[in-house]
Amino acid sequence: MDELEAIKVTFFQECEELLADLEGGLLAMQEGAGDLETVNAVFRAVHSIKGGAGAFGLEPLVRFAHVFETLLDAVRGGSVPNTVELAAVLLRASDILADHVSAARGLGDVDMAASAAMAAELEQWTDPNAAPAAASAPAPAVPVAEDVPPAVVADDDALEDDDLGFVFVPQTITVEAQAADAELIPSNVWTVSIRPKSDLYRKANETALLLRELNRLGPIKATLDDSALPPLESLDPEAAYVTWSVRVETDEDEAAIREVFEFVDGDCELEISRGEGSVDQAMAALLTVAESAPAVEPAAPAPVEIAPPAPVAEVAVAPPAAEPPKPAAPAAPPAAAPAAQKATPVEVPGPGQSVIRVDPERIDRLIDLVGELVINQAMLAQRVGEYGIAPSSNLAMGLDELEQLTREIQDSVMAIRAQPVKSVFQRMPRLVREVANMTGKQARLVMDGENTEVDKTVIERLSDPITHMLRNAIDHGLESPEERKAAGKNPEGVVRLAALHRSGRIVIEVSDDGKGINRERVFSIAVKKGLITPDLQLSDEEIDNLIFLPGFSTADKISDVSGRGVGMDVVKRSVQALGGRISIASRPGQGSTFTLSLPLTLAVLDGMVVDVAGETLVVPLAAIVESLRPKPEEVRPLGPVGSVLAVRDSFVPLIDVGLTLGYREQSPHPTDGVVLLVEGEDGSRAALVADAIHGQRQVVIKSLEQNYQQVEGVAAATILGDGRVALILDVDATIAMRRREGGAPRPTEPALIAAE
Amino acid sequence: MPQASSISVLVVDDQLTMRALIRNALQQIGFKDIREAPDGEEALKNLLAKPANLVISDFNMPKMDGLALLRAVRSHPPIRQTAFVMLTGRADRELVQRAVQFGVNNYCVKPFTVQGLREKIEQVFGQLT
Repeated sequence: MDELEAIKVTFFQECEELLADLEGGLLAMQEGAGDLETVNAVFRAVHSIKGGAGAFGLEPLVRFAHVFETLLDAVRGGSVPNTVELAAVLLRASDILADHVSAARGLGDVDMAASAAMAAELEQWTDPNAAPAAASAPAPAVPVAEDVPPAVVADDDALEDDDLGFVFVPQTITVEAQAADAELIPSNVWTVSIRPKSDLYRKANETALLLRELNRLGPIKATLDDSALPPLESLDPEAAYVTWSVRVETDEDEAAIREVFEFVDGDCELEISRGEGSVDQAMAALLTVAESAPAVEPAAPAPVEIAPPAPVAEVAVAPPAAEPPKPAAPAAPPAAAPAAQKATPVEVPGPGQSVIRVDPERIDRLIDLVGELVINQAMLAQRVGEYGIAPSSNLAMGLDELEQLTREIQDSVMAIRAQPVKSVFQRMPRLVREVANMTGKQARLVMDGENTEVDKTVIERLSDPITHMLRNAIDHGLESPEERKAAGKNPEGVVRLAALHRSGRIVIEVSDDGKGINRERVFSIAVKKGLITPDLQLSDEEIDNLIFLPGFSTADKISDVSGRGVGMDVVKRSVQALGGRISIASRPGQGSTFTLSLPLTLAVLDGMVVDVAGETLVVPLAAIVESLRPKPEEVRPLGPVGSVLAVRDSFVPLIDVGLTLGYREQSPHPTDGVVLLVEGEDGSRAALVADAIHGQRQVVIKSLEQNYQQVEGVAAATILGDGRVALILDVDATIAMRRREGGAPRPTEPALIAAE
Repeated sequence: MPQASSISVLVVDDQLTMRALIRNALQQIGFKDIREAPDGEEALKNLLAKPANLVISDFNMPKMDGLALLRAVRSHPPIRQTAFVMLTGRADRELVQRAVQFGVNNYCVKPFTVQGLREKIEQVFGQLT
């Protein structure tokens, strides 16, 4: 049935969220969070997965979830102590549960032996006495069969006598009796609670008028609640503090009452309920009744209740326009503040958050269109310039505003596609656990900056490099628990994954507290593999970065973790393809840090527009260190064709872009043109010679691969203000091309050639 | 013999999937007026603002669980007579026993069939048309 299929899709989506909740809760437990709230949330996640799976008859998933749930239930009940060791086991179980979910979805398989072994382990934890037999027999027939299947087979009468041990008689009721009770609520009495915000008064509305309007519907009785009114000295004259509670007798319906408030919509909090007293009051009373029942948090989501003596600090922080404090359910003022503070760290995403789901293609289209708009605006500006219209004229000023707006639209549109890196980070705890298990290391992952946002196109490509860096950090960085103990460290190594924004780029850092890079070994391997000559003098940092050279692999034996024939050089290349950089810093005995930086978006680029041999090129601004006009004495020849430029106290190779890209055969003298001092992703510098600089511009990147084919030395293309196509220079490739053509003193060691 | 279409139902479950499944089953039985709430607290608010004839509620939910909701409903005269069917995950005798103490009308073990749910409701209201 189609509808059921649709619900099944919902179920799997919900499973994703539940699995994330589960993992989050378990990680908190591993960090030592033993509170019932966390354990309950973890239990609920597994319980919900099992419940849904049962409804769709997903047997293996139900069976595994059941064993898992049983143990969690025991933890919840206190019969199994909540320890850090247990959390580690539960985390591994959650990974297998995730596999079961994927398998049920038709994505991938479950290692049934591992699943059975884990089920046995879970049972062992649940009941240590009964388990040896089960644990020693990791057969697929996990002994859970006794109590699940009867219920799963949708035989809901099964428990009537057998399981309950008492006969349950359903309590009948008639709709008429209910109706009679409902009559307790006089049908024509309504309670309207009006809590004006200060905006209501600011917009020159008046509560008295609203009350008068209400009065037209029927007799009213208005009560003013001024309990939230602060003492005179702390009263903000522009804030709103009072709430009206109005009893209206009318035969009109709710819509008619709501209509009265049509013009103050959003400027006041409105609650309309049938009967006497507001829902709030009844709720408050009923919550106290329910309180004595277990697992109830009395007034958890209570609004920030500001009691007269306490709030001074809070009022000072919040701007006066803030909503007036709620007249508050009867709560003891001194107790209210600490309770509210205590509640904040547990962040429960409310179901009411309004989110719009949009087809990503629509957003991509929007971004494309905005890109066109940017180009169009630039064209317009250029034409106006050509007509010699004064910058102070209305037209030019209007265009300036248009440019401003265009930029803002572009930023806003890009923000729509921005996503927190969380989606990528989320997958990493499991990876770390698996790699640690495989390598016999103990590793704890600490994550930071998960909410850092970056364009979706970049997010998708973050996963591979991060995975690789993490594997590397655990496999090569961390020592074995024994080695760590011997070195006086905690046997459990810490791997840190962090994301942050820095100067318009996103920076991902992966650091470990392991042994650091063994520079002697790295150097000797690089020599052995013919990557460098033995007499080469390198700084520590340069040696560290040798691991990015193609063909370099430090593992003595190829482990099945990071030595998959893919070295760090591949990671580096893929990162560079995105306009990113990667580097490593290491301190012996203390650990290493990989730093990866990427542009926030792959859609636009800040570039310098230059002229080369009659062609217009764009050089990415991020690569440019400075631009200068060289003096004749600063240019020194080097080798038959090459020359270098003296920049302050160092020499950098001069590269004629026109020559490298094949625009011309003969280079003009560098002093006739302009030189852009650029820095490649690896930190190497070069001086690019161009004929003239046009200026800085934000350009929309058009992929060359998609529209034509890859061209060496060219990263992409763009359309300029005058409608011409301009190529965006690939600075690194240009430097590398030039090196190959000659004049490079150390061709075997490209990453370091130009480093000073 | 009450008409299913004249009975208003509030479905309470923290899981979207379960709510969708229950709604689907209720629609097949013939119910028309179906509302949903993700936890006990929301359900209570919903009932206070607009009573329902029948509440079908999960037990294990954040904020306010099914038992607490049942207790609150039974202690408020205007909605005291709301029919309350508790969903239980499995044969949880203790839970059902406590629900009976608090005046539950019936219980239903998940997963259930449409027919099974129908029978449970009919045991409360009489045969549905």
